[in-house]
Formats: sequence, structure tokens, C-alpha cells
Amino acid sequence: MWRLLHVLAIGALIASAVYVYSLKYQTILASEEIVKKRHLIAKEHEAINMLRAEYAHLVRPDRLQTLADKQLDMQPLALNQIVKAEDLPEPAAKVDSIGRMLGQSSTPAFGAVGSTPAQR
Amino acid sequence: MTEPSDLTPPAAKTPKPPMSLRLRKWFGDLVSTRLDKSGGRIRQLMLVLLIGYLGIGTKLIRFGVSSEPPQTLKTAADQAASGARPDLLDRNGEILATDVRTLSVFAEPKRIIDKDEAVELITAVLPDVDARELRERLTSKKGFVWVKRQVTQKEQQEIFHLGLPGIGFFPESKRIYPNGPLGAHVLGFVDKDNIGTAGMEKYLDQQGLTDPHVPGFSVDPNALKPVRLSLDIKATHALRDELLAGMDKYKAKASAGAIIDVNTGEVIALESLPDFDPNDPPDMTKEANWPKINRVNVGTYEMGSTFKALTIAMALESGKVNLGSRIDARDSLRSGRFTIHDFHATHRVLTVPEVFTHSSNIGTARMALMVGVEGHQAFLRKMGQLDRLRTELPESAEPIIPKHWGELSTMTIAFGQGLNVAPLQAVMGVSALVNGGHMMAPTFLMRDEPAAMAVSHRVVSEQTSESMRYLLRSNATHGSGGLANIEGYYVGAKTGTAQKIVNHRYSNDKVFTTFMAITPADKPKYLYMVIYDQPEAAPGDGGYHTAAYNAGRVTGSLLRRVQPLEGVAPTSIFPTQPFPLIARLGFGADADKVGKE
Repeated sequence: MWRLLHVLAIGALIASAVYVYSLKYQTILASEEIVKKRHLIAKEHEAINMLRAEYAHLVRPDRLQTLADKQLDMQPLALNQIVKAEDLPEPAAKVDSIGRMLGQSSTPAFGAVGSTPAQR
Repeated sequence: MTEPSDLTPPAAKTPKPPMSLRLRKWFGDLVSTRLDKSGGRIRQLMLVLLIGYLGIGTKLIRFGVSSEPPQTLKTAADQAASGARPDLLDRNGEILATDVRTLSVFAEPKRIIDKDEAVELITAVLPDVDARELRERLTSKKGFVWVKRQVTQKEQQEIFHLGLPGIGFFPESKRIYPNGPLGAHVLGFVDKDNIGTAGMEKYLDQQGLTDPHVPGFSVDPNALKPVRLSLDIKATHALRDELLAGMDKYKAKASAGAIIDVNTGEVIALESLPDFDPNDPPDMTKEANWPKINRVNVGTYEMGSTFKALTIAMALESGKVNLGSRIDARDSLRSGRFTIHDFHATHRVLTVPEVFTHSSNIGTARMALMVGVEGHQAFLRKMGQLDRLRTELPESAEPIIPKHWGELSTMTIAFGQGLNVAPLQAVMGVSALVNGGHMMAPTFLMRDEPAAMAVSHRVVSEQTSESMRYLLRSNATHGSGGLANIEGYYVGAKTGTAQKIVNHRYSNDKVFTTFMAITPADKPKYLYMVIYDQPEAAPGDGGYHTAAYNAGRVTGSLLRRVQPLEGVAPTSIFPTQPFPLIARLGFGADADKVGKE
């Protein structure tokens, strides 16, 4: 009887030791993982920072201005581009494709064309 | 257990028994308890333990007291490497300055085997490293030396492939300014160790917002909160672009400009040309035709006729003059051997608004004399024109005040000659005149109106302020500010042309021009200032190089460009009752009646 108890106690001791050891090992593994992940996060932060800096460099106003001057046909905001709602002309009557074909030669162009006032 | 041998009983000194017996007796003594010896043994043991503990204690204290941490390579590199700085953002969150990670090459001279070979190989890869200097550094007795700071990716690869022992890489922060020279005079720059040497960068260090190099006190770079400045980078770019175009057109030597929110004192944009690229700090000191200083903060100039606004405000505030008063400007004003003339002489009696729109020197001098020398000084001091203006920027300048301030000084200072102030100071004074009379120091950090009001104090009455707004508006419609009175905005403006002093006398052809504009004039939000140093007349301007033709015209195009950027669209609907306080007194109705005589 006593012997069995002793064997059981020793067995429990060994089992708990093994369990504690494996727990400790897992903890070490997990903490190493954390350190690695932290490194990765730091690296990503750096990369994000670098990209932000690059983006800021690419959208700096003087570069955008030269690009806009070259590529876009835009004008600065001016008073003559701002109209009150009641000053807008009546929208032209809707013409479907057949109507357009019929009146291609006779219908005059309505209203304003072109995107900027200078072209009007 | 390890009982010293001299503790063996005195009996041992009697004739020596055989060796084996002695050993047996010694062991027997060791394990047997003898009451007569126990006390002594315990005392011996206590002594030994005491000595041991004392030793441990003193060592511990020495560790605790010494400030010098054990010098490892890591700490040496940490101390040498540049610290982290918070990002600088503009008012809309655009990046003005940020830190990026770069690698720097270092060496541990003790671990380098063949120094000559190392020098040869490194200089082959990094041609810009001076071979002799590098050899000196590598043969030094230090444990840690830099080979080259902030190398490129390619250089790093090449150095790595050399496979030299004792050569390593250490990550460092490098400050970059993505917008190049935009706002450089405000931002300042940092040195190789990422320590601010000028501008807001230096301010950050002074405020302890950066990561200092104190061993054991390292701030996590991610924990540094970005600092938001009041600058708007888009407006700053527009300002710089327009100033540059104007400098080219009018062949000016230097130029500067500022846009300020008069209600909060925030500086929206500030530029001073010629400028520099903060990414390349030596650029600051590089040869230029004209010094690359921050003319708005550090330069002191005679502000010319823009100072008349202060004089008239003073006269109105004193109550000796009102908007309907008449000032005699028929004849030149004499004082001793000096005579004060008018640039645009009218030779008649002028009303106060006419004094302003005709920019009459005689008229303003007479108004200043009504207040007197003492009152003039007191008013200018109240307006912050006689003391050094301090902002967040470490750079500032003391105004140059005449040594003997008599009546003549008061007369000339009344129209902006004889007193040199920093342009930002004049801007501060004028914005206090137009914002309802609240004086506040300009700031380069974000500030909202309640916070600004909390630090401000009243310098002129609401009515005087409104009178000034009316005067500025009428000067824009039928005075010298016409070229900045652009369509769609309710602008008020004042020109100022000061003759430069060349060889101790006022030069006739070298001028310093200033222009100030407020918008909208009935309830100002923005104050624009543009300065040109030694502009020349542009072709087609009839030989005029006065402020209206250069600074004024530039301010006009600047307004047209920046107002929409700040979210103010042009409008054809102007306020019907722009100046209610003075309207009640019967003035101010003629502000928009364009009819220049």
C-alpha cells in the first residue's frame, strides 16, 4: 500500500517536472516570437516612415506645380467662374440619338462649351 | 569547516605524535563539539562572514554610486548615434520634417588587424572619405569611431562585402525635409548628430521635445509626438513662388514675405529669399550674393510708410484727431536744418483719410507732433515696436532706436524713417491695429482664437481698429494699394517705400519696399506682407520702383493664389455695412468709391 503511494507520488513529481519544463520551454519560445514580431513591427514602422517621407517628397508643392503646368490644362480660380444659381442658363431640351441625327446640321450648339471660361 | 590550522589546540605543540594520529585527532576535533572552543569558533565564523558581507556591500555601493556605465560597444554607439526627433507637420498635417533610418559605418580600431589594408579598401568603396583622416581615426586608442555617417544602401552592401573585421553598421536617424527649401527659415536645420541648430528645430531641443543623449534615458522614437506648426506648406510654396518671380522681374537683391492670421497670431507662411535647403545645412553658409538670413525675424529695417498706420492709429486713439480732422500739408515741414517733404505732394489741407491715401509725410509728422515725443514713444512701446520681439524661433533682433529721440525723430519715425524694426514686429503691430485692438505675439505653433485672446491684451479701441480697417480699405480703392485690390476680395492695403541708407545718407535710387494687405478688410482674417530689397523699375512701369509696383503687385497675385488655398473663394458680393462703428459717426461711407484724383 505505502509502496504504491510512493510510486504514485514519484510519478506525479516527475510528471509535474516534465510539465513545468515544457511550459517553461513554450514560454521561452513565445517570448522569442514576441521579440521577433517586435522587430518586424519596428521594421514595418521604419518602412512606413520611409514611404511617408518619400510620398511627402513626391507631392511637394513645387513638383506638383511643374507637373500640373506641364500636364494639366487648368486655370486658377477666378471670379468669372463663379455664378449664382439663378444666373445659370436653362438646361437645353433633351435630344435623343435619333433627334441628334435629324438635327445634326440645323441644331446650333447650346450654352457654353469647353471646361474653362477662356475657351468659351 | 575550513578551520585555520593555528586554531588547533595548544596541546598540538607538545612533542609531535605520529602523523596518522595527528590527522585522526584533527578530524576528530573538526567534527566533535567542544564546549570550551565553541564560543571562539562562532566568533571566528562571524568575523569571516562579516568581512565577506562588507566586501559585497562596498562593491554594491560602488556600483550604485558610479555614474559611468560599463562601456560596451552598444552604449558607445548609442551615445555617438543621433537621437530621435519628432516629426514636424504643417497645419494640415503635411510632413515638413521627419526622421528616417539610415545606417552609419563604424569601426572598432582595437579589432582591426591590418589598418592600412582597411583604410585602402574602405576608401576604395567610399571615395569621399579622406584616407589620411580615416587612418588617424583608425589608429586612435578609442573603442569606437565613425567611418562614415549615413551611407546609402549600395555603399552599405559594398562595405559589407569587404568582410573587414572590426567594421560594423549602426542604425541612425537622419532628418529629412521633403519640401526642400520651403519654409526653411522657419524650420531651421539639424547638425550631423540630429541636434537642432536653427529655427523650430532648435526650439524643439530647447523645449526638450527630442530624445536627448543621456545614457540610460532613452526615449522611444515612436513615443515622440509630432509637432504641428502653424505653417501651411501650400501657402508657403505660393509665397515663395511669387516672391521668386517678383525678384526676377524687379531684379531685387532680396525679398521676404509673411502671411499671418491676425486673430490668432499664427504665421501661415513665412519666406525669406535667398534661402537654403535644410537637407544640406552647409548650403546655409554657402556663398550667396546677399546674406541668407531670415529677413522677417532677424532683419531690421525702416518700414517706410506702412508705419504711418501706427502713427494715425496713435493720433486717433489719443483723441486729438478724428477721421474728419484736417491736417495742414500745404508746406514742407521744417525742423532745424531738416525739411520734410511729401513724395506725392498735394500742397493743401488734407483730411485724415487723405493723409493716409496720399501717404503724406508732412501730415503724419504733424499728427505725431500733436501727441508729442513721450506719447509717441509710449504708444510704440505698447505696440511692441521698441522691444525685441521673441517668438518660438530662437532667431530675433533688437530694434534699432535713435539714441536721442527728439521732435525730429518723432517726426521721421511717424512716417517710417529713423526706427529699424523686424518686419514681423511691424506685422504684429498692424495686425493688432486691424483685429479689433488685440496685441499678441505671432506664433509658429497652432493656436486657436480663444487661446490667442487669452495671451493678448488690448492696445487700441475697437473704434480705432475699425477706423484703421476703413483707412486701409480706402487706400486699396483710391490710394497706393490699388495693384493689390484684386477682383473678388475685400482687400485693404498700404504701401511703404523707404530709401536705403548708402554712405550715411538716404539714397534716391536704392529703396526698400514693403506692402501690407488685409483681407477681408471689414473683418480681417489674413495679413499679407511682402518686402523687396533694392527692387528696380520693371519695363512699362514708367521708371517707378516704389512699393506699389513691385511688392504691391506681388501681393495682389499672392492674394489671388493663396485665398482660395485657405478656403476663401472670390465673391462679387461685398459687405454693405463694413464699418458700422464709424458709420454711426458719419465716416467710412466712401471706402469703396473708386475715384483717384
